[in-house]
Amino acid sequence: MKPVLLEISNVAKSFPGVRALDNVSFTLRHGEVLTLAGENGAGKSTLLGILGGSLAPDNGSVSVDGVRRGEYSPRQALAEGVMIAHQEPAIVPQLTVEQNLLLGKTAAERRAAASAVDGALADVAAMGFPLDRRTRLSRLSPAQRHALTIAKAFAFGAKIVALDEPTTSMLEHNVDAVLDRVRHLATERDIGVIFVSHKMPEVMAVSDRVVVLRDGRVGYESPIADTTTEEIVRNMVGRELLGFRRAHPVGPDAPVLFTATGVTRPDSPASNDLTVRAGEVVGIAGLVGSGRTEFLRALVRADPGCSGTLVIDGKPVNIHSPNGSRDAGIAFIPEDRKRQGLALQMPAYANIALTAAPDLVGTGPFISPRHQIKVASELGTSLSLRPANVRLRARQYSGGNQQKLVIAKWLRRGSRVFLFDEPTKGVDVGGKAEIYGLIDQLAAAGNAIVVVSSDLPEIISLSDRVLVMRNDRFISEHVEDINEHSLVASAMGIAASESAKGTP
Amino acid sequence: MTTDTAAGRPQRHFHLNMQALSIFLAAAAIFVIFGFLNSNFLTVGNLRDIAVSACVNALIGIGLTFVIITGGIDLSVGSIASFVGIVSANLMVNSGVGAAPALLVGLVLGFVAGGLNGILITLVKLPPFIATLGTMSVYQGLAYVVTEGQPVYNVPQSFVLMLNSYIAGVPIIVVIVIVVALLAWLLLRRTVFGQNVIATGGSEETAWLSGVRVARVKILVYGLSGSLAALAGLVVVARISAAQSEAGAPYLLTAIAAAVIGGANLMGGEGRIAGTLVGALILGALTNGLVLLNVPSFYEQIVTGLVVVIAVAIDQGSKHAWWGLGRGRRNRSEPTPVTPSPSTTDPAEASEPTVASRTGE
Repeated sequence: MKPVLLEISNVAKSFPGVRALDNVSFTLRHGEVLTLAGENGAGKSTLLGILGGSLAPDNGSVSVDGVRRGEYSPRQALAEGVMIAHQEPAIVPQLTVEQNLLLGKTAAERRAAASAVDGALADVAAMGFPLDRRTRLSRLSPAQRHALTIAKAFAFGAKIVALDEPTTSMLEHNVDAVLDRVRHLATERDIGVIFVSHKMPEVMAVSDRVVVLRDGRVGYESPIADTTTEEIVRNMVGRELLGFRRAHPVGPDAPVLFTATGVTRPDSPASNDLTVRAGEVVGIAGLVGSGRTEFLRALVRADPGCSGTLVIDGKPVNIHSPNGSRDAGIAFIPEDRKRQGLALQMPAYANIALTAAPDLVGTGPFISPRHQIKVASELGTSLSLRPANVRLRARQYSGGNQQKLVIAKWLRRGSRVFLFDEPTKGVDVGGKAEIYGLIDQLAAAGNAIVVVSSDLPEIISLSDRVLVMRNDRFISEHVEDINEHSLVASAMGIAASESAKGTP
Repeated sequence: MTTDTAAGRPQRHFHLNMQALSIFLAAAAIFVIFGFLNSNFLTVGNLRDIAVSACVNALIGIGLTFVIITGGIDLSVGSIASFVGIVSANLMVNSGVGAAPALLVGLVLGFVAGGLNGILITLVKLPPFIATLGTMSVYQGLAYVVTEGQPVYNVPQSFVLMLNSYIAGVPIIVVIVIVVALLAWLLLRRTVFGQNVIATGGSEETAWLSGVRVARVKILVYGLSGSLAALAGLVVVARISAAQSEAGAPYLLTAIAAAVIGGANLMGGEGRIAGTLVGALILGALTNGLVLLNVPSFYEQIVTGLVVVIAVAIDQGSKHAWWGLGRGRRNRSEPTPVTPSPSTTDPAEASEPTVASRTGE
């Protein structure tokens, strides 16, 4: 067995309100390909951040070839030969292939790097992307950029290469060539590779060993030869569910309230349908990037060129912008509350008034701030908004209370359809319970609710029915079998029969 | 800092007052200093001159305040002032149009010219700087074309008196500016439109997703800016009883300066009508005071520039650490929750690119 190259021992890292990593230890050997698996938020990116030196651990250590790292900085990590190829390639589109490879190198280093550049270009070609070194990156496809980023990580004296979701932008037939090359480089140069991916077939094909992170801890570790896809997935999701149960699940004979048919976007060939009954909560699960947010935005016509037929309460509605969808009775609570949900510099009450609910803005052109403050305060009280003073600026509230403000915007609009996108992202446990209770109440009042979430326990405890989206399309519907395993398997594109087989 | 603002209401008032107050205090200080240095400065006649001289910057500045609150800029205001001035003067002198109709035509023309800026910015999706840089040149060119570059002299007395006479010793133009400012304040702070303007500047995506018709808001705002620039251009014509094709050009930068001194944030979302008025007064007082002190006019530009820089620095300072009550309004990236409970995961989100960095999901 090859000697140990990287040793992560007892690493812990906390952010305010979140323990991202808790006592994580594992090793990586020379020439080994190790998959780091885990759900969104399990701590993978934090660990890569520490490995790459952009984050310092609160506790524990990182040692490369037996030398314990003293200082955490990207420069130090590079000096140790640790290269990270990020999910979003760190490239300059205006520069050429060669200039990007040499970015950040001094003149002396550049002269010494000629052979490394040739090697990187050969690697990219072997991955199925022959590139001219004089081509500008802006002319390359996302897949070509990713391939270049991967090759660059291996090119300049790397000892350890971490690849974060390297194949998301690539087509199937490219993926095999890329993974072959990665395997080849690891073996040939004795480089240790850390591979982060949600795609289980790739994990099974390329890795020697797998480490599963779950809620910031190492939950499972095994050589690939001794495990199965099913085993890995089970260990990724197997955690306790949040103790929330809907008080008002939808009745068996509730009428259909909201129908969307043939919903399309200009940037995707997919066309989707959705039906939601009165009082029903429909969860939409899927991997990050599977097109869930884009689907919601298409429903409210937030982007140009979206289409689809919408029917609310039996009446077709013809809308062309969020202004139209608002007036038709659709509420959209977007994912990024700081940029899409609130104008942070405005007082809370003015944010709540932004959807122009008649209760808050009246019917004429004039407004009364005093009246808005009064109504907004009532809404704040009903939502246990803290601090309760709605004259404060939106930026002065914490994440969970900001989310309440975004929801409050829609409570006096008389909306019948509520579209929630990641309603509890960055919200602490207490705030989550309050928001779940509110969603339950909205459903109980006979509204149609759609919840997009990457938090599987959240989807499972909230939804009457779950749709799974993959590559911009709904690929499965779950009513009886709403559990983490079926949803994850579906989101990752593992057919039930295939995952049962397990391919070591 | 977190604890001392947690109670909210009383601090908030104090906080707002301090921000608004700093500009008034600065203005008062300037007036007092010049009063000390020259006994003629604080006389009724001289103060009236200052007020009159500030009016053009104030009118253009109020329009620009709306534009800047939406997060935009309008570089064409000076050209619109020149263009409208020469068109209206030409109508009166060479076509025999009456003073009131000529004024009305001018205001409508200004609105159209400004609205065109808004259309370029919203429908053609040009950045405001580029769109209005282009129209600045176009409107200036049109101002030359109307009379082939020749000034229009002998503007009718009826028109001059309409904008350049006195009511009980108060210059009528000062009354007009005060009325315009009051209406502008009402529009900004007491109407749905105003709330939409502020929201659009604070976060255009938020306003859009809340159902605000963002394009319409912006087109109207640029139209308003054009109208007020037109009114300013007409005031200049009345003041010198003649229209020149470049008369409005010098007011572009000074009007922006007035708005910025008054607290308008070029990043959008913030601006104060009263602040802009005071900003214009400060600029007027500086020019006037330096002349009274026989300072060569070259220095006036230096002083004006320094005042802009210092005013914005004080405004920034009052929002950050100074006096311990700043909230860093311009520093959008930095959330400052006041609840005692720990706010979750800003760093965690940042460190989880799989979750946070895909803007789509």
